[in-house]
Amino acid sequence: MKGKVRLSFKLNGEKRNDEIEPNQTLCDYLHDVAGTTGVKKGCDTGECGACTVLLDGVPVASCLVLAPQVDGREVVTVEGLGKTSNPNPVQAAFVEHDAVQCGYCIPGMIVTLSWIHQHLPGASDAEIKRLMSGNLCRCTGYQQQIEALKAALLSTSRRR
Amino acid sequence: MKSFQYLAPIPRFDYLAPKTLPELFDILEDRGREAAVIAGGTDLTIALKEGTASPKAVVDLRHLRNELGGISLDRGTLRIGAMATFSEIEASLTVGRYANALRQAAANVGTLQIRSIATLGGNLATASPAADSAPPLIALGANVTVLNKSGKKSLPIQDIFAGPKRSALQSGEIVASVEIPAAEGVWSAWTRAAVRNENVLSAVSVAVAAKVRHGKFEASRIALGAVAPTPMLAETASKAMTGTRATAEQAEKVAILAAEDAKPISDIRASARYRKHLVQVLTRRLITQMLLEVQVP
Repeated sequence: MKGKVRLSFKLNGEKRNDEIEPNQTLCDYLHDVAGTTGVKKGCDTGECGACTVLLDGVPVASCLVLAPQVDGREVVTVEGLGKTSNPNPVQAAFVEHDAVQCGYCIPGMIVTLSWIHQHLPGASDAEIKRLMSGNLCRCTGYQQQIEALKAALLSTSRRR
Repeated sequence: MKSFQYLAPIPRFDYLAPKTLPELFDILEDRGREAAVIAGGTDLTIALKEGTASPKAVVDLRHLRNELGGISLDRGTLRIGAMATFSEIEASLTVGRYANALRQAAANVGTLQIRSIATLGGNLATASPAADSAPPLIALGANVTVLNKSGKKSLPIQDIFAGPKRSALQSGEIVASVEIPAAEGVWSAWTRAAVRNENVLSAVSVAVAAKVRHGKFEASRIALGAVAPTPMLAETASKAMTGTRATAEQAEKVAILAAEDAKPISDIRASARYRKHLVQVLTRRLITQMLLEVQVP
């Protein structure tokens, strides 16, 4: 009875139906099968955060989730947050603040920071650092990324 | 392009997601030891990749959140469902009020991306000696409810830990919930030492729960993590603290006894000697904090 299972879920707002082998992570499924290549595999052990996606609205390490676990649920990757032509406030602020060097950690970082931007707009610096501790960046030292998030929070609150 | 694989590919397994508890227990009975239960998956998925678990069937609890999740307060008991995530526990005001030590530990488990999915029941079932949820639960005198096909049983939380990464769960059993006595006026806190502040396993963790009344420590319990094959109650220290005067001198004496209670090993995270030192420092720190926070007339 080892066999494929049905996977029906919402990916970046669109319904997706698939028959899949269950022995794969959500990270591999999203990158290799669904083509959302913004999902990066870094450590594959839940430490680095490069594979961060929103599962039912909260950031998770997709390398620790088995693909069939998301049946009936909702997944948003960095692709679902904004487009080059229409970036979300955090994406726009990353460009403005040169918050990118090699770029590998950036999709996961954007997912986490966009979640903070949306749900914890009043977060202190210490709280921001604590919440982004699951997104490792070996290039930037995090400073520009924190500045970008704070600029995004400021620009959004001005518009509100 | 196919993602690279650091680790061996995950071997094939049957994947089952029962819709009801009876269906779950039928599956677990049928598959016996070849079944592995998955809740959040933050431990099992890594074990599958590393080959330390190779189940023939993976049984997903995701349809059983109503039966196995939730946080509620009922007649003096705080009940936390096994599928409550650490993020939910961290955010719960009720947990903060009656089990502050557990809320603090929950907020320090892994990272945001792990706390979002990792569950309390999974932390207990994995039975790591460093499980951060355990010392607070032991200090607070919690019980764990275990379910199987024929019914349920309640155990003191320590008894779910049989050895390093070995739970006392039998084949066909799952953790259903944790029950914490929710008494007014119980002060509790948790702290830990590790090689960095975030995203790291504890080298040592300590939880203290006690009351201070009429200038004395009452019903005091000190529990330790990562200093023995299982999380443990520091028995000598807890007994020595209960009923004595609530003073800084007494805090120091109790801290020394707690270090003597600890039975650590040396490993990559800390040496045995350093762990004992940390138990003493962290225990004293927590009790001193309690003396500052509670009113000692």
